[in-house]
Amino acid sequence: MSRPLSVVTVNGSYSSPSKTGALIGLVADQIAASYPCELAEINIRELGPDLGQALERDQVSPALAEALEKVEKADVLIVGSPVFRGGYTGLFKQFFDLVEVYALANKPVFMVASGGGDRHALMLESHMRSLFAFFQAHCAPVAIYGSSKDFDRTTLLDPSIYGRIEMAVEDMKVVLDALAL
Amino acid sequence: MTFDIGIYHFGELTPDPVTGRETTVADRFDELIEQVELADQVGLSVFGVGEHHRGDFAISSPSTFLAAAAMKTTQIHLTSAVEIISSNDPVRVFEQYATLDNLSRGRAEMIVGRGSYTESFPLFGYQLTDYDDLFEEKLELLMEIQKSNPLTWSGKFRPDLVAADIAPRPYRDREIPLWLAVGGNPGSVLRAANLGLPLALGILGGRLDGFKPLADLYWEAGEKAGYGKDRLRVSVNGPGFVADTSQQAIEISHPYFAAGMMENFHQRGRGHHMSKQAYQATASPAGALFVGSPAQITDKILAQHEAFRHDRYIMQLGFGNVPQKDALHAIELLGTEVLPAVRKALA
Repeated sequence: MSRPLSVVTVNGSYSSPSKTGALIGLVADQIAASYPCELAEINIRELGPDLGQALERDQVSPALAEALEKVEKADVLIVGSPVFRGGYTGLFKQFFDLVEVYALANKPVFMVASGGGDRHALMLESHMRSLFAFFQAHCAPVAIYGSSKDFDRTTLLDPSIYGRIEMAVEDMKVVLDALAL
Repeated sequence: MTFDIGIYHFGELTPDPVTGRETTVADRFDELIEQVELADQVGLSVFGVGEHHRGDFAISSPSTFLAAAAMKTTQIHLTSAVEIISSNDPVRVFEQYATLDNLSRGRAEMIVGRGSYTESFPLFGYQLTDYDDLFEEKLELLMEIQKSNPLTWSGKFRPDLVAADIAPRPYRDREIPLWLAVGGNPGSVLRAANLGLPLALGILGGRLDGFKPLADLYWEAGEKAGYGKDRLRVSVNGPGFVADTSQQAIEISHPYFAAGMMENFHQRGRGHHMSKQAYQATASPAGALFVGSPAQITDKILAQHEAFRHDRYIMQLGFGNVPQKDALHAIELLGTEVLPAVRKALA
């Protein structure tokens, strides 16, 4: 008897609509194509003021507390950020700085990012992957990156990125299958 | 300027992904001949076939196929798309296309390129490490053969020519149009511009206007090199399909395109799965895939014309070999609806 996977997305973008959000949505669609899912979306832009006011976990607003708990309890995370000044957005980091240290251990995590050009693609590997390595999360080997030129607004045009999304989810099949049992 | 529209094929032998039906080389040739006849009748400007050296493609010898097409047609221009000159002898290539030019009374054209497959290099005894040098030398020789006869020439990759008489000459001694195919490499664009060769942009995906920087580079460098509109031309070549409605265009062509991608493109060493969602997105108005209704194809051509100032569009019709009846209908739509609409809009 399979149960729905709880899939929680965290979009570090400050804009709406966002290309990062579009990539996150495509990863979520790809997971939902194979597994029954319950999806919850967290948008950092909506939590901006709350994040700015919380230096410690015991200072967080009710809305921020709820978002952090969702992330900690999720079966699967899809996290994403635009590339800002060579890294993920500041508030994306601030959000994860408030996540309980061991809450993400061994949790499947899909990482996505969007940026102005292909030259920023390694942000995922050199910054974001190390953040989730700290959490000892189970990151998908393939991370998903899209440049502005790959999009028409928030429609992803490049078929090879769709292919990478399929690959990322397929690589995590054993882990997702076990969770969905 | 008269805007030209044409079609081209690689002659894939992909088994029909919908019916499972296998095809043969002879049957593919029959179908392609039927297509070029119709393309000629509905007023399309150019028909091309591309060179590949593998069992899953029917065309390894474009000029032979085009010679047969020449006998069945009267107006349409017949071109390679592309001829891989790097692994061929330009003397032989010229002789073949000059033969075609006389058979067709002046309708032969060549699109030459470096090719995106590498099988022909070991097959004909060339080293891939010479990839760039081979193309440069062979292109130069091909242009020399066009220009002067008899020809004295020496280079690195073939025996010297000493007052060589290379025959036949093209129909009425004309110059056979020679286009340079480019897949996105700025260096190749500059080569075309500096040689005053027309540029065939191979656009396989991405944004509809994604090649604008390359087109801008071509026009700027070509004009700087002193060439005018008589030498500089841009064409767009890429996969597409047209049907009565956008929905039909997607539904009919997607399984074939996906099968073709699976066989010919790779991600992590295995076939590239093209989901219908990805196909639809690439076919959307800002995407570079020309799949849609006649009105949508017309709009895309006109939008690219704004960006590229091109005057020729050649559709690789139904990559993966859509069924013949659908391909024929697409040719009819290109000739009777898209071509008049584009010409009217640009008149």
